[in-house]
Amino acid sequence: MASITASSVSFSASCPLKQNQVSNLKKVSLSFSGKSFPSLRLQPSRFRIACAAKPETVEKVCEIVRKQLALPADSAVTGESKFASLGADSLDTVEIVMGLEEEFGISVEEESAQTITTVQEAADMIENLKAKKA
Amino acid sequence: MRHPKDKGLLKTNSRLEMELENGVQRWIVDISNWNPSPHCFSFAMSFLPNHEFVELEDQKRALVSRLLQYALVHQVLGIPFDEIIIRRTPEGKPYLVCDNMKLAFPNFNFNASHHGDYVAIASEPICLVGLDIVSHSVPKNETAYEFVQNFSSYFSSSEWNHIMHAGSSDEMLHIFYRYWCLKEAFVKAMGTGVGYKLDDVEFHHMNWNNIFVEVAGKELKDWKFWLLDLGRNHSVCIARGQPRAATTSYRTTLKQIKFDDEEYYHGLHLPNASFTFRTVEDLIQVIYGADQVPSDISTKFDVSEDEGCERARFVQQLG
Repeated sequence: MASITASSVSFSASCPLKQNQVSNLKKVSLSFSGKSFPSLRLQPSRFRIACAAKPETVEKVCEIVRKQLALPADSAVTGESKFASLGADSLDTVEIVMGLEEEFGISVEEESAQTITTVQEAADMIENLKAKKA
Repeated sequence: MRHPKDKGLLKTNSRLEMELENGVQRWIVDISNWNPSPHCFSFAMSFLPNHEFVELEDQKRALVSRLLQYALVHQVLGIPFDEIIIRRTPEGKPYLVCDNMKLAFPNFNFNASHHGDYVAIASEPICLVGLDIVSHSVPKNETAYEFVQNFSSYFSSSEWNHIMHAGSSDEMLHIFYRYWCLKEAFVKAMGTGVGYKLDDVEFHHMNWNNIFVEVAGKELKDWKFWLLDLGRNHSVCIARGQPRAATTSYRTTLKQIKFDDEEYYHGLHLPNASFTFRTVEDLIQVIYGADQVPSDISTKFDVSEDEGCERARFVQQLG
C-alpha cells in the first residue's frame, strides 16, 4: 500500500489501489497532444486512478515536463497543465514518459503512456505504479 | 446503370466527378512569415475561445488550424460561417456537425495538423483522411541515436532496420521522422488507433513512393498514403482510408461509413490534390468575405505593416 501522508490530499481513507486498468486495454499508441485541436488521446476520465499524487511527485513531473519542452523556469506549469497546452507533441509525450520512467524507476506500457494528458495524470500514474512495485 | 455513350449522363458523371474532386482539399499555411501586430493577433484570436497555450507559437498554430477548418468548410461546402459548428470527439479529433443531409459529398471529413512552421488541413469526400506534419528537428539534449532509441517500440523490425542502417545521423533522423509521420497520419485518420499496436503497423514503400501499410502482417488494400517533403526539413503525410476503421466515437460523426465496392474504389482513387499555400489574411477573407464582416470588429486597428490586418480593415470598409 502506498503511504499517504495525512497532509497531502483529502480523499477517503480506503483508497483502493486499482491495478492500472489501462494496461488491459491494448489500446494504441500515438498520442497527439500538442497538435492544436486534433490532440488525439484516449478519454482520461474513464481510467481515473483512485489515488491522487503527492505534491512532491507533481512538482517533479512539472520539472521533467519543463525540461523536455524547454520551457522557462518561471512558466506556468501545474498539476492541471495539459501537455498539449504546453506545446507537447506526440514525440514529446513519449519522451516525457521515458523521463518519468527513469526518474521514478517505473515502467510504463506504451498503451498507458498515451492516456496521460496532464501533469496530474502523470503524477497519479507514477504513484500507482510505484505502489504496485512496493 | 450508367451508359457511357449517353452524353447527358457523361456530362452528369463528369460534373459529379468534379464535385467529388472538390471534396479533396489540401491547404497549408507557413506561419514563419506571420508576425501579427498585437491588435491583429487579438482580432484573429477571437476565433480561439480558450487561450490555453503557454507559448505564443503554439497559440498561433492552434489559431491558424482553427481558421483553416472554418475557411475550408465554408469554401468547399458553402455553409455560412455563422452556421458552421465544429466540435471535437472525446479523443480530440475535430469534426463538422452537420444536420444538413443535402451536402454534396457522401462522407466529407477533414483533418488538420501543425508542427514547426506549418499548419495544414486535408479533406476527403468519401474516404477517411488523416494528415500529419513533422518538423525534422535535431534533438537538443541527446544525440540523434539516443533520441531515436526512445521510440523503438513504436516501429516494426523492418522499419527499425531502415532507421538504424541510415548512412548518417541526419539521414537516420529523416527516416525516423518520415515513418513517424506516416503512423501519425494513419492513426489520426481513424480518430485513435484503437486495436492497433504501432509496432504491428508496418509501412512499405519504394523510396517513400507507392506507400502501403501492413497491419499484423496483412496488407490494408483500402488505404493509401502519400508522403511529401516540405521545405526547411518538414514532411507531410496524407492517409486516406476506410471509414469503417474509424474509432467508435469518430464513426458517429461521419455521414456514411459503408460504401459499395465501386464507390469506395472510386473514392480511394481520386486524385491526391497538391497542397495549396494559403495565408492567414486569405483565410480571414474567406471567412468574412466582403459582405459578412461582423459589426463588432474594432475600428481601432493601427495602420500597421501587417498585411493581414490592413486587409481585414479594408474588407471591413468594403462592407
